[in-house]
Amino acid sequence: MVLCIAEGAKAMVPQKRPRLGSKSGAALVPDEGLSDAERMILEAIRSKENMGIWTFDLKKLTNLPRGVFDKALRLLQQKGLIKCVVSIHNKSRKMYVAREFEPAKEISGGTWYSQGSLNQEFISDVRSKCLAQVTRLRIATIEDVWKGIQMSRDSKADFTLQQIKEIVQAMVLDKELEEVKSTGDGDFSAVPAGRPCYRRFERRAPIAGALSAIPCGVCPRISECTPDGVISPNTCIYFTKWLELDF
Amino acid sequence: MVGQNGLKLAVHLITAHLGDLVAKVCSCLLHRGALSLQEVVRFTKLSISQAKNCLLVLIQHNCVQAFSVLLPGSTTKTMTQYIALFDNILHRMRFPKFLMVVKYDLGHEGEVLLEGLLQNGRLTFDQLVERTLSKTTEASASIREEMRANFNNLVHSHYVERCPKPEPFVGPDSEDQSTFARKRRAKTVPILSLEQQVMVAATLSNGERFSEISNGGKMTVDTVVADHHVATFSGEKRKFEALEMDQELQSAITENEVLWRANYEKFIQCLKKKACVLNVRSRLGLDASTILEAMIETIDQENVENKNTVFASMGSIIERVREKPGGISMTLEHVRTILVDQLLCHSSTEDTNTWYTIDLNDIIENSQNEEVETFIRARYGLEAYRIFRLLIKCGHPVETEQIVEITFIEKKNAQEILYKLWKDEYLEMEKVVMHGSGQTQLFLWKLNKRVLREHIIDDMYHASLNLSQKISQIAQQQREVSPHGDKKYQRVKYILQSSLYKLDDALMLFQFL
Ligand code: SF4
Repeated sequence: MVLCIAEGAKAMVPQKRPRLGSKSGAALVPDEGLSDAERMILEAIRSKENMGIWTFDLKKLTNLPRGVFDKALRLLQQKGLIKCVVSIHNKSRKMYVAREFEPAKEISGGTWYSQGSLNQEFISDVRSKCLAQVTRLRIATIEDVWKGIQMSRDSKADFTLQQIKEIVQAMVLDKELEEVKSTGDGDFSAVPAGRPCYRRFERRAPIAGALSAIPCGVCPRISECTPDGVISPNTCIYFTKWLELDF
Repeated sequence: MVGQNGLKLAVHLITAHLGDLVAKVCSCLLHRGALSLQEVVRFTKLSISQAKNCLLVLIQHNCVQAFSVLLPGSTTKTMTQYIALFDNILHRMRFPKFLMVVKYDLGHEGEVLLEGLLQNGRLTFDQLVERTLSKTTEASASIREEMRANFNNLVHSHYVERCPKPEPFVGPDSEDQSTFARKRRAKTVPILSLEQQVMVAATLSNGERFSEISNGGKMTVDTVVADHHVATFSGEKRKFEALEMDQELQSAITENEVLWRANYEKFIQCLKKKACVLNVRSRLGLDASTILEAMIETIDQENVENKNTVFASMGSIIERVREKPGGISMTLEHVRTILVDQLLCHSSTEDTNTWYTIDLNDIIENSQNEEVETFIRARYGLEAYRIFRLLIKCGHPVETEQIVEITFIEKKNAQEILYKLWKDEYLEMEKVVMHGSGQTQLFLWKLNKRVLREHIIDDMYHASLNLSQKISQIAQQQREVSPHGDKKYQRVKYILQSSLYKLDDALMLFQFL
């Protein structure tokens, strides 16, 4: 069985920071007792550092017979010297990275990805943490949210300010939070005037979009619909359904 | 530039209100731009008298404006041309809203007078009086007095204005100006379309437009003198006949008596402000909207036209708030908190009084964004909505990878959404080829607000046209099947009508920011 990183519980915890180009790390890995084929493959994988290498390219590079190659690759994994990463660009592609390197964001997708896909469960967990902080503080700067999460007891994970910023900005896009500039007054008195801060996005009534409330606003055929055409309001089935026209 | 759907909607409205023949002439002007009477005759294949009558009806209803221009190659001789006023045509579907505005502000008496003007397009005060007298048995003298007072209220509040000049002269783009001067002017003054130039030339000064009627039905200023150059006749018979025909038409439209009409501009301003209050109510609640309404009323008192920045003192806001339902219970602190924390007003202190400023354009822009976003969400889904909001916020081109990263959307989905939005012309795309170790192609996506606005407006015109067409079809079916009214038809008509009204509310916010 191929062992992939970021599986199971591991996926819930932010990954280690990549040790970019840490050649010295490579020396720490004991690779005595490896066959020539294993050593050749390991060297090829190590040379790609945190970017990893695709099985196909690896095979081409080492030019080993198929049976030897497959066996050596399997053994390297079993010994824990290399790990398999699912690429976010192509989930069917197996990429290999040497144990001492943290896969690059370009390959694994970074903190928010697991097995080549967005880790929705993890993301929504961090989102609720951010929302809880903003709710508690009413008005909060990004630093307030970050510090609040880091200090909260239930938070086992160690987030960077940048990671929290990414989540908060996505929440602003979804209108869960609202970004406002502090006026320095009233509710904002704790934040210097002009500084951007966040509060819960609240709306008393749902947005009633006039265009989206009628069939034509969401109609996929609108560009073909004309007053006397084959598709026209006079014969439109979407209108018939909407208006419950049974006469 | 008005899109095809806008033009179709305008023609549909004219057909429904003024008949097929008038609509034919109107459509001709809308599609071809300004034309002379002869050209209208040639393009519509109507007889001269038919074309002339249609133009008169359109002028009477403020849908067409006549103007004179120099004959090609001449420096003194002029000819008359006619231009369709697109916005005014569309305002016809807003008449019930205009009536509501006046009813709310000046009561039933004001509403009745305005109704007369909206139904007839242009009337003299005498004609308005006659119209009312024909419907009542009361003594005419007392009614006339009462009507004059009510009418003056309408004029004073700028709901009614004197009609513009019947045939202003629109000169060619001043050739005497040097290129340099023209370039300089172009930088500071926006270039006006011909329709706008004609409107500007026809508009009376504010003093004239809103001068009330003094006792005895006489105006406080002289009657309108048309600012147009009378053509000098010479030469060929054909030209002579053409000019004579125009003069005849012109004498019919240039009334000696002062004609009045509804001032659409004022109504649009009122409806825009009302829309801001409604938006704030649905977003921030009743108290915030009451306070905003009070702020707006403080500037309305001064009859400031087209003012989108509201600047009011705490004293005047409180005074107005207290007059409103529920306002009496609001404390000074509560009002202040809402002004600062919710309405995000800027405050400044002057002579012990605190002043608050709010820009209505911000609220309108917010309403516009909400309308577009809900539309995108309903039509393309939640992830498209997120991408869309990102691009609105950024205002500059963003690369696919970056979009994927910021929006937390799987790359494949993001690519599909972006492609769909681009194909439907809601986004702009730019391909960039990067030459590094290999060749990489990058896709940059951008939201062009102007293009998007025009696109959404055209979608709204199309949807309004469809709703109007369906209303006409249902009305027709009702006449055929159940002439005495049937609840089923009433229900359907109500749904369609109210959807059309709401859609038009949104449309106005896009059209007249
Ligand atoms: S009338 Fe029907 S077919 Fe035409 S745009 Fe509307 S919903 Fe679509």
